Amino acid sequence: MKGAGGALSRAFGGGTARRGFDPWILVLVGAWAIVALLLIWPLWSVLMASFRDNDTGALSLTNYIDVFTLRSYRRAIGNTLLAGLGGMAGALVLGVTLALVTTRFRIRGRVLIQILAVVALVSPPFIGAYAWIVLFGANGVVRQGLASVGIDIPTIYGATGVILVFAFKFFPHVFLITSGALGAVNRSVEEAAEGLGLSPLRRLFKVTFPLILPSITAAALLTFVLSIADFGTPRLIGRDFNVLATEAFMLFGTEMGGNPGMASALSMVLIGLSMALVLLQRRVTRRDVYAGNLMRKPFVREATGWRGVALHVVAYAIVLVGALPAITAVIFSFRRTSGPVFQPGVSLQSYERVISTVSTPVWNTLVYSSASVFAIVVAGTLIGYLVSRRPQPATAALDGMLMVPYVVPGIVMGIAIITRFNGPPLELTGTGLVIVMAVFIRRLPYSARSAAAALKQLSPSLEEAAISLGYSPARAFLRVTVPLIGPGILAGALMSLVTAMNELSSSLVLYVGSTVTMPVRIYLAVLDGEYGLASALSSILLVLTVAAVAGAFLLSGRKQSSLL
Amino acid sequence: MSRLDIRTIEKSFGDVRVLKGVDLTVESGEFFTLLGPSGCGKTTLLRIIAGFQRQDAGEIVVDGDRIDARPAHKRDIGMVFQDYAVFPHLTVAENIAFGLRARRMGDADVRARVDEGLRMVRLEGLGQRLPSELSGGQQQRVGLARAMAIRPKLLLMDEPLSNLDAKLRVDLREDIRDIQKRLGITTIYVTHDQEEALAISDRICVMDRGVVEQVGTPFEVYRAPRRRFAAAFVGTMNFVAADSDGGRVRIGPLTLPVAAPARDGFQLAIRPENVVVGAPTDGDARGAIRLEGAVRKITFLGREAHYTLSTPVGEIVAQVADPTRELLDVEGRTIAIALPYDKVVLFTAEGDATPFGAAT
Repeated sequence: MKGAGGALSRAFGGGTARRGFDPWILVLVGAWAIVALLLIWPLWSVLMASFRDNDTGALSLTNYIDVFTLRSYRRAIGNTLLAGLGGMAGALVLGVTLALVTTRFRIRGRVLIQILAVVALVSPPFIGAYAWIVLFGANGVVRQGLASVGIDIPTIYGATGVILVFAFKFFPHVFLITSGALGAVNRSVEEAAEGLGLSPLRRLFKVTFPLILPSITAAALLTFVLSIADFGTPRLIGRDFNVLATEAFMLFGTEMGGNPGMASALSMVLIGLSMALVLLQRRVTRRDVYAGNLMRKPFVREATGWRGVALHVVAYAIVLVGALPAITAVIFSFRRTSGPVFQPGVSLQSYERVISTVSTPVWNTLVYSSASVFAIVVAGTLIGYLVSRRPQPATAALDGMLMVPYVVPGIVMGIAIITRFNGPPLELTGTGLVIVMAVFIRRLPYSARSAAAALKQLSPSLEEAAISLGYSPARAFLRVTVPLIGPGILAGALMSLVTAMNELSSSLVLYVGSTVTMPVRIYLAVLDGEYGLASALSSILLVLTVAAVAGAFLLSGRKQSSLL
Repeated sequence: MSRLDIRTIEKSFGDVRVLKGVDLTVESGEFFTLLGPSGCGKTTLLRIIAGFQRQDAGEIVVDGDRIDARPAHKRDIGMVFQDYAVFPHLTVAENIAFGLRARRMGDADVRARVDEGLRMVRLEGLGQRLPSELSGGQQQRVGLARAMAIRPKLLLMDEPLSNLDAKLRVDLREDIRDIQKRLGITTIYVTHDQEEALAISDRICVMDRGVVEQVGTPFEVYRAPRRRFAAAFVGTMNFVAADSDGGRVRIGPLTLPVAAPARDGFQLAIRPENVVVGAPTDGDARGAIRLEGAVRKITFLGREAHYTLSTPVGEIVAQVADPTRELLDVEGRTIAIALPYDKVVLFTAEGDATPFGAAT
């Protein structure tokens, strides 16, 4: 981020008067410097570490041989795939169902459904896991309630629980992506299919789904990558359901007997799995670009009678269960506690505890996330401009490099950064800066992509018009382009703020006592059984998150799917 | 009022030479059109003049000053864009004032110039509107007023009418012409529409594959094409393949009493409106090529009709102004036509026009 800032001031300081000199070259150099320092170098270190024998320090394949031969690692790989595919399948079923119901039928309270879906989406990631424990854990409220009337249900712990949590946590992504696509399917095409004698159900599978396949596969990929990268959920309710992310963290985290080489090898396998899915998705969707210039909006049916009731129940059940963790956290934050045990009655004591003894994480979160978002927005906008307006091999390669963070789980990014900056030449461990750096590089691609997309909507001749009227290229950019993409950038910034505030996995690797953030503190509180404190912190985080999301939606005129 | 000299401009993109040593002179106050098919290099040349692209070699000179070393924003060249490029976040008035602000003009002067601009493009009263509240034609008027407001030395227009529908296109075309004449700003206009070029220009430069094919007034380019490409691109033209028969021009079965050029592979050309349809009862038989043609198709367009004829020398299209009822009934029949010598142009194998006339 420093590089881009410096390049910016240099670019704007002069250079435009010189002939044939493009100030954006400096931005390009700065961007590559960032990518090299925060992405290539740390990941290269992890890659190297994965080939290093932990005992002798020699180059070897021992770690990889262990990964694929030792039973517990093989189990972790299997579990990771199971959790990833299970979470993906669950999220797809829930998300596509909800999208179909809400786009093709007149459902009452569509706005409420969308809000609940967004609440589920932006809830701090492990609130889900924790709230499910409160409800369905060994002493869970729902479980005990059912037990008192003689119904015995299994606990949420284990593979089933992890997959269920993933499905209800990630379905909003699928919902938002496929709703957009379903809304853009030409009605005439579907009517033509029915005219040719297909029943509505067959038409759905033969025509509608193939048409929105690119969106479905993109959503599937996203939910798979999110599921296998998730650390909090399997850690909190997986019990003995170990996955690669938790294994890598444990191997790396244990001060004594830690095995960084092994942790690195597991990280590489995790990245490899994500990459494999990305390539698979590309193969599936390569030729599926359907464009029609004649457009009739899909027909929205009235939902009446028994069918109407059923459709409403399905839609509301999905979003309510999805938003349940967030709702639970808020309710529990106001319950009276005695130590870790909840007592009857209402109280603000959890919040009092936050204010009196654990306010550091709140401030840390605000400071780190604002700092990283500021850097993300500046660098992301400049890089987005480069990618969309200066097409050349160096920017195309930059764009390609920025795909990498999409497939690098937070845990791995954390491990990579700590491996690289743990000692000379750059020792930054224990500072807030490493936490900011990790969030920055993880979220920069999203910001760059959305800036590039916004710029693609903007004709290059607008800037040329300003230049021909006497403005230097830098002033034309500031006077014309920035005001036009400004609202989009700001909306993107608020969404980055949401993810930055909720970042758990990389911060967990990088924090020390004084740099603890809210998500980390909540995670620790849940591990310690301090549910009251966890609920209060979660609620504060949730309020901040919802405020940021609401701001983003106001700015972008409610085009949610373009934000998330 | 500025004179523009373009000297041996070269430009390549990769291996493709898009401009092959273009030389042009545009007189002060002239309305000069670059006309050609897409990919002929006309837009590239315009962008080089504007400073958005750099030539590989050659000079751009305005009133004796070389400007090609200056960055685009210091060239004092107004530009009107195909997609209007009206700033959507600024009102119409702010758009027109945009370039004046860069020149640090005082508020009162800016206001006067904006009002004048609005009047000029007939958008009085719309100054406070946002571009999204305007039609495409109105937006392009804003683009024109904005470029004119800075009183540039040169005005460049890159297919400004091609996104408008036919009726608006003609209206705005007339307005552009009137405003340009009134202010006398030297204007370079790019289009691929030959009718537009004929209607609006003082002079037309026909380009093809990075080469200037012909420069001339609309009349010269249409009536006296000097290059085969210009003849084919501007208006419609019948081409008849010909060869030499003992020094005489031969077309199909006919040998004409006309001297043939030295090299074979030449062509005769005639505009459809110059083909005489029906058997001419008088006139000198030696003054025209007489042919019989089977009428394959008649297209009636109201004020004229187009006849597609199969003749012994190939297909010929003839245009008849104000056709009579009887003439529209001849489809499928064979009729007589005549190609008057003084309307026929001969193009050599190299594509150059040469004089055509009865051998003496």
